[in-house]
Amino acid sequence: MNARSLRAFAALCISLTALGAAAQEDGVLDSAVVRNRLYKPAGHPELSLSVGLPVQTYLTAHYFFDVGLAYNLFDTFAVEARAGFAASRHTGLARSISESFLDREDKRVTDELEDLWRMNLHGVIGARWAPIYGKISLVADIPVHFQTYLWVGGGLGNLKRESVIQCTQVVDRAAGVCDNRTAVDDRGSATENYWVKETRVAPVVSAALGFRFFVKEQHGIRLELRDWIFKDSYRVNLQRDEWEAGNPTGEPAGSPGLTHLVQFDLGYTYSF
Amino acid sequence: MRPFRSIALLVAAVPALAFAQGAAPAQPPATPGAPASVGPETTAPSSTSPGEPPERSRTQRDAPAVPQATPETPAAPPAPRPGPGTSSSDDDDAAAPAPTGPTSGIAPADAPVLESPESGEAPRTTDAQQQRLVNGAPLYNPNVNVHIVQKKRFADEGKHELVLYPGVVQVNGKFTNHVGSALHYVYHLQENFALQVGGQYNWYSDESDFNLELIDKVREQAQAASSLLLQWGAHAGVEVTPLYGKFAFFNNSLAQFSLVLSGGAGVGKTRHLIRPKVANEVDGQTYQVPARFGDTGNKFLGEVGGGFRVQFGESYAIRLEVRDLIYTARVDKVDGCNLGDFEALEAARAANQPFDGLSLSGSCKVAKFDGVDPETKKNYREDIILGRDLVAEPSSDVLNNVSFYAGFSMLF
Repeated sequence: MNARSLRAFAALCISLTALGAAAQEDGVLDSAVVRNRLYKPAGHPELSLSVGLPVQTYLTAHYFFDVGLAYNLFDTFAVEARAGFAASRHTGLARSISESFLDREDKRVTDELEDLWRMNLHGVIGARWAPIYGKISLVADIPVHFQTYLWVGGGLGNLKRESVIQCTQVVDRAAGVCDNRTAVDDRGSATENYWVKETRVAPVVSAALGFRFFVKEQHGIRLELRDWIFKDSYRVNLQRDEWEAGNPTGEPAGSPGLTHLVQFDLGYTYSF
Repeated sequence: MRPFRSIALLVAAVPALAFAQGAAPAQPPATPGAPASVGPETTAPSSTSPGEPPERSRTQRDAPAVPQATPETPAAPPAPRPGPGTSSSDDDDAAAPAPTGPTSGIAPADAPVLESPESGEAPRTTDAQQQRLVNGAPLYNPNVNVHIVQKKRFADEGKHELVLYPGVVQVNGKFTNHVGSALHYVYHLQENFALQVGGQYNWYSDESDFNLELIDKVREQAQAASSLLLQWGAHAGVEVTPLYGKFAFFNNSLAQFSLVLSGGAGVGKTRHLIRPKVANEVDGQTYQVPARFGDTGNKFLGEVGGGFRVQFGESYAIRLEVRDLIYTARVDKVDGCNLGDFEALEAARAANQPFDGLSLSGSCKVAKFDGVDPETKKNYREDIILGRDLVAEPSSDVLNNVSFYAGFSMLF
């Protein structure tokens, strides 16, 4: 995150939070309005399934498939464990960069690109705080009850990285081929590629803002905007001659920053 | 790390929701024109217990006009038997067990009660607590079927709304970043339909760090049309509010909100980065040269969006919306100069000739590519080749500038 982003975010947070606190001190509203909430999850465990789609893609795209087990300590607070798998891929932009950079020999020294780690298996434990309970009037006669919640937690993720710069065995520089495809134009025939690969297990933090719409007593639909955050890692000052000879090159970046995978999650919840 | 700003701002919107519900003043009487949306409305009785706190008193004062109870009246007249409108509980109106026996509370004359227990029917409801009004509704009364989403408290029809969005932050900026402010005027023609006009000025618009990273590390960058920057935009259109609702924060306070959907069309002014900020070294002295942008003209603008309007009081609201400004981008001129102009300029620059006698198109602002900046000593002629690169391969794209709008409005 650059300094400009940080300043903007901090200013917005402070202003909104301060306004909210000041307003709530006024206490001008009557208490107890949406009373006798129909759905009281307190004391109930629940099982959830969710699918996450990327909100914005840069060099990678992720598709999350998660299972969650939660226990509602109160109507407004729950603890939840989530685990799952993320199918991931390089975007077309990343592939285009990898193909063209093979032939860009005027760039002999460079740095690896940021945010190329891809998550697959992952598990997190977190807290869900749902201070808002409400109801909307849908098509005039159908009231829909919902909760709005914040979710914060942490865990571990299994990460992999495939470079789009370092090819250890250039097959066809002009065509941008760095794999064992049988024909230049047939990318699908490749069974192995020669891009530098790395794997690691890293701490992961996850945060989400979501809505849970109640469907009868035991079912629910969840819509979330969820961010998966982990520390990035890449190398800098890479020498083309070295990586094309298959030798390690460069050194780790001093302050690689954080990688954010922002997803739109659609989920189903069954409450026991 | 790039989407950090996006999700951070969305998460930061939660305190704004708290602000909306926390700052809501006591509700005024329901506007007669406001339509009911869910189920029948039960007429709410009013009580005037002197021992109630000031807040209660204010609520009673603001409650919908109903026949006032006489304080001395010990009990309500016989109430009708529970009928369809009162006996069947609404989904979230599970009635608490009614007390039996006499109560000391003061009940209004028109308080709905059941038959006495002696008659074998349900007990009489005269407890003051059960007669208490909450936002104009006897929510504690087990005999009253109160629908949670009853009636819009504030009618919009015929009202004007002025909306200021101090913060408009682009959330899908792969190659561009925009931050600005917007001002909209909305006239609510009907309860659920409004006309709107608005303008937006992006006081920060630049290429993204991601694009600059690609340029720096792999000598790649987005096509000119894909990284076009929007300086300002103006549009007119319509807004609809297909549904509304309310929510409680920790069961303590209420906020009313509407889902708003909008669409419109207009025009926007665009520009493109020609040269990022650089350091210029002249005679052993280093000058910081700010980034330079080239004018790429006005473009047709489409707008679609949606979000929430959280109303507090009759005259104020907070709006949290996401809007997509859509514009077609074709970059074949920069500062009015096309490829032929740039090639003529570049040839003259290489030959160190003046630009005066060149045959250029009428729109080409040749002065922007000639001379030396007196402060930074930057020779503008060095930017000619950069401008030419932008138009050398004319590119076109349809850009979606999706931004998060956080603002507040005043209705009058």
